[in-house]
This record gives sequence, structure tokens and C-alpha cells, in this order.
Amino acid sequence: MNPDAEQAFTEFAVAARTRLRRTAYLMCGDWDRARDHVQEALVRVYVRWPKLQKQGGELAYARRAVASVVIDEARRRSSREFPADPDLAQPTTEDVAAAVTDRAALMAALAGLPPRQRACVVLRFFEELDVRETAAALGCSEGTVKSQTSRALASLRSVFESASRDELVVNVMRGQ
Amino acid sequence: MGNDLAELMRSSADDAPPGDVDVASVVATGRRRVRRRRGLVGATALATAAVVTGAATLALTSAGSNVDDDRLAASPPRPDAPTIRLSDAEPAVEGRDYEELTSYTNEDLEADNGQYLDGVTDDGLVLFRDGPRADQRYPRFALLDPATGDKDWLPRLDIDQTQTWPVELSTDRLVLAGMGAPTSEDGLHVAQLAYVFDRDARTWRTMSWPDLPGVELPAGDVGPDGRLYVTTPDTQGAIPEGGWPVGTDGEAEDADAEGDTFRLWSVSLTDADDVRDEGLVVGDVAFTDDAMVWTDSSNGDAGMVHVRDLATGEETAFDPRTGERCNLLGLGASGDRIVLSQYCGTYADGVRDDRVQILSTDGEQVVTIQDSGAEGWLPAGSEVVNLTVYGGEHGGTYAYDLAGGRFLRLSEDVSSYGLGGPTGQPRELMWHTPENRGRGATQHLGRLLD
Repeated sequence: MNPDAEQAFTEFAVAARTRLRRTAYLMCGDWDRARDHVQEALVRVYVRWPKLQKQGGELAYARRAVASVVIDEARRRSSREFPADPDLAQPTTEDVAAAVTDRAALMAALAGLPPRQRACVVLRFFEELDVRETAAALGCSEGTVKSQTSRALASLRSVFESASRDELVVNVMRGQ
Repeated sequence: MGNDLAELMRSSADDAPPGDVDVASVVATGRRRVRRRRGLVGATALATAAVVTGAATLALTSAGSNVDDDRLAASPPRPDAPTIRLSDAEPAVEGRDYEELTSYTNEDLEADNGQYLDGVTDDGLVLFRDGPRADQRYPRFALLDPATGDKDWLPRLDIDQTQTWPVELSTDRLVLAGMGAPTSEDGLHVAQLAYVFDRDARTWRTMSWPDLPGVELPAGDVGPDGRLYVTTPDTQGAIPEGGWPVGTDGEAEDADAEGDTFRLWSVSLTDADDVRDEGLVVGDVAFTDDAMVWTDSSNGDAGMVHVRDLATGEETAFDPRTGERCNLLGLGASGDRIVLSQYCGTYADGVRDDRVQILSTDGEQVVTIQDSGAEGWLPAGSEVVNLTVYGGEHGGTYAYDLAGGRFLRLSEDVSSYGLGGPTGQPRELMWHTPENRGRGATQHLGRLLD
């Protein structure tokens, strides 16, 4: 890669890394692993960079790479690790603690989703991609995105309900 | 009052602990990965060489009938692509088109095995192999500095006379694929081994994978992820009843064969328990820096060509529009180019229809080199298609530069010892010329100049 292209890649990576790490964290539930996943995804972007510069869509490609790395890793881990049952019913009397518990409830509920369903809801509701963009990011059909998202939301709502948390509200802002 | 999912996600992802991605490290790893891809020396090329040889000597024992007269009367059809012939190559001029980095001469290879240039490391050293020979029944390896001729002999690798194939020659390690014990009663399938030399520690380690089924050719191709990809037999194309027909040249005429298929596996080069069935049935496989390319089958009809973006997993496929009678002998890939080596039949007066078809990864026909005896292949990690033509008016070694589209004739003669081989470097190639009235050979290592 020539120095100009490498400089452009570096600027892109610096600008995108924090956002990508948050996305990866929501997809995998661990900040350290999220950093490793983004690291790997950005390496893949680097290898592809000269072509991406010609074609455009660098961020979309990076997002796809992150999703691909996380899903691949989850597939590998699934054969040797089992998620613990989320213990969501711990009562708390303080509002701050309640907010923290809501977030913990979300992360635990996300952890219970299959990797592709989890990626669907993260891309749809955190990255705010529409169905078509999510399908492109995950390399699947729009119909798959719709069905996977629907199942994921049903599971998430169910977990919140059984944990006696406030109802999970989903505002579908973009093309469902 | 409820929990808004999007808001909850944002707040959950807001409190990232310190320690963001180190971009300098990303760049360094990216550079190494590109280098590693370019440094690969792979099985595809070796398989190609083996198959090409096989095609020339195939099944003479079969009792087949002669090829029908109509087919013999015809001349090879033109490919459905821009086409060039051997006569279109320009004589290469040393200093202008290429530079010779080093060479090595064995005066008499009929008497005994000799010394060979086996590839080039990412830092420009040549893997030099001595033997095995009658008085030294094991190979010795050295790293040869082509600038000075100095050899750094490596600790002995205790493998007796086992044949090895370099699959990665990087600055960190040398990986040689090797053949283990037979895994089938007929001996056709063997255990895959790899000998890994840690260049810092200067130690060899032998890798084997108990969970990996037996392979036919114990070589493989290191992917961009650093794993060794190998194939195991799946289905074999049927041979016509009574065997292949025999052409006027006495060779078995197996053009238009059904292809064979293989299952794709990958293994870790550091963990013997890490064996992965890739869940893919393929013909031939090749890698670029960012894509895996494969065909439906090989040693016959290629079927479709598939391209998988390794970053995203996205796959595309296209019909390469090979000739009706073409057998796929080898597959190579570099950047956005795919190279299919083919044998497409023998026609009147023994004229062979040999082809090297070059496509883009989008399926666009770039150029096809078509001529009798033009056996060509793209070594793994190379940007230069190597063609070897044995004897005749057009005999010699040719190079087609995928980067610039130049077609060069490097030599007008070729030894009979098959010392070409992959270098592992994108702009470098090896060729060989006869010495001592054909009893010996000189192996040349050169680099194309831009």
C-alpha cells in the first residue's frame, strides 16, 4: 500500500474504531473481545483498502467485517462454552442501580440470542441500519433479517418480562 | 414507562473501558498479512505440476480405442475470450525485463540427487535444499543470501528421505508440508504433516493432526488467517467403460473428463487439536490477500468459479466459460485475477489444445494463452504466470505478468528435471535450463522488472 493510502486508512481507522468497538461489544458482550474483534476486522479492511478506496463504502465494509468476525468467533466458542443463565431478578431500591440493572438485563438477554439474531438487533437498533442495509451487512436476505429480528425481539421482551423489568419498548424508526 | 431498546443499547455501550484498538498495530499486522499472502508457496501449484505430468502419461495401459477421425481432423477451437499464442511473446532482455538474482547448477542429476532452490523468504533469502542423496539420506536446508552467496545452514530436520513442499516462508517461520504414514490400505491416502521452523528460536517442530482424514497430496495452502488449508478426496469422475481412448500421439485422451471433488479442511499450524471441516466441497482452491477462490471440481470440468470475500463472507459465483472439452488442471489467484490451467484435447498431427485462461474475479475474460504444449500455472503468492514448453519451435520458459500484461519468453530450452517451482514472491520466478548434454540443469531465480 502506498503511503498516501496507508495514511488515509489510518485516519479512517482512528475515526471508526470507537464506534466499531461499541457495536462489537453489543454483539459479543465483552469489551476486551470486542477490541480484539475490531482489531481483526480493521486488519481485513487494511488488506482490502486499495479496492475500497476505489469503490467507496469503507465504513459499511468495516461494519460487515466486524459482524463477520464476531459471528465466526461465536460459532467457534459455541462448541465449547455455554452461557450462564442470566440472574435478572435481583431487586434493587435505588434508581441508579435500577438503570444499571436494566443495562445488565439487556446484555444478559442479548447473550442468550444466537449470534446472527443478536447481530440483527444491534445493527437495526444501535447502528440504525434499515432492513436492506442490515441484510447487506450480514450477507443474507432481507427476509432473513426480518425473521431473525422478529425472533430476537420476542426473546428479548420475554427475558425482560420474566425478570420483572419494565417492558422493553422498540421504536422502529427505519424501513421495517 | 418502559425500556427503550435503542436507548438501552446506547447507554450500555457508552461506558467503554480504556484501551481502544491500537491502529499502529492494525497497520503492522495488515502489512504482515499482505506480505504473508505474497510469500505463500502453495499446494495448488504443486498439484498443478503433478496433474500436468499425469495428463501427459495417463493410462497408457488402458485398452481404449482410438479417438474418432472427426475429432482428429479438427483443429483446436478458439476460446471464447481474447486469445494470445506463444509466438506473441517477446524475448525477455536481462536488465530491461528481468534481473537474475541467483542460479545454481547441478552437473549430473542422472547420477544422484543434487541441490535445489526451494523458494524465497519474505526477507529475500533463498531456501536452499541439499539432497537427500545416496551418501546423505536426509535433506539439509540452508537460507542462502543471493547477494553474497552465504549459506546459513539450519539445524538438521530428521525426516529421512521424506519429500517436502514449502507452504510458508516468512520472516518468522518456515513451514514445509510433508507426507506422513498411509491412512488407507491402498496407500493412496496419507497423513498430512508440517515441519515448522521457528527462525528466532532456530528449532524445528513437526505438526500432525489426528482428527484430519488422509489426503492425496500432502501439501496445502496457508490462508490469510495463517491456517493450512488442505483437501481430502470426496468424489472421483467416472472413467469411460473400456478406458480412455488413445490419441495418435499414444497418449490417453481424457479431455472432457468428469471432474473430481474434494472436501476442504483447515488446520492450525500451532495446535494439533485445531482441525476444522470447512463444510465445503471444492475442486481446486486458491487464495488472494482477501478472497478464497474455488471451483466446483477439478481434473475435469471445472464447473462454476466461486469467490468468497474473506472479510465479510460474501460469495459470488460465475461460469468461467472454459472450452467444452477443457479439463481443469490447476487454479491460481492473485489480486483480482484468477488463472485456470487447462488441457482441452489433442487434435490432428498431435496438436494439443493447452490453455491458460485468465479471468477477473468478476468473471470477465481477460486473456487466454492457447497453444500446443503451453503448460502454464500461477504459483501461489505470485503475480506471474509461469509457462513451460518442452521442445519444438516454441520450447522454453515464458512469463505472463498479471500486473502489466507483458508476455515474455525467458529461455528457449528447458531441462528435463522440473526445477521451476514457486518462489513465494509476487514478482519472482524460477526456471531451468539443461546442462552437460542434458544430464544436469541450472536453476535460475529471477525477478521481473517493472
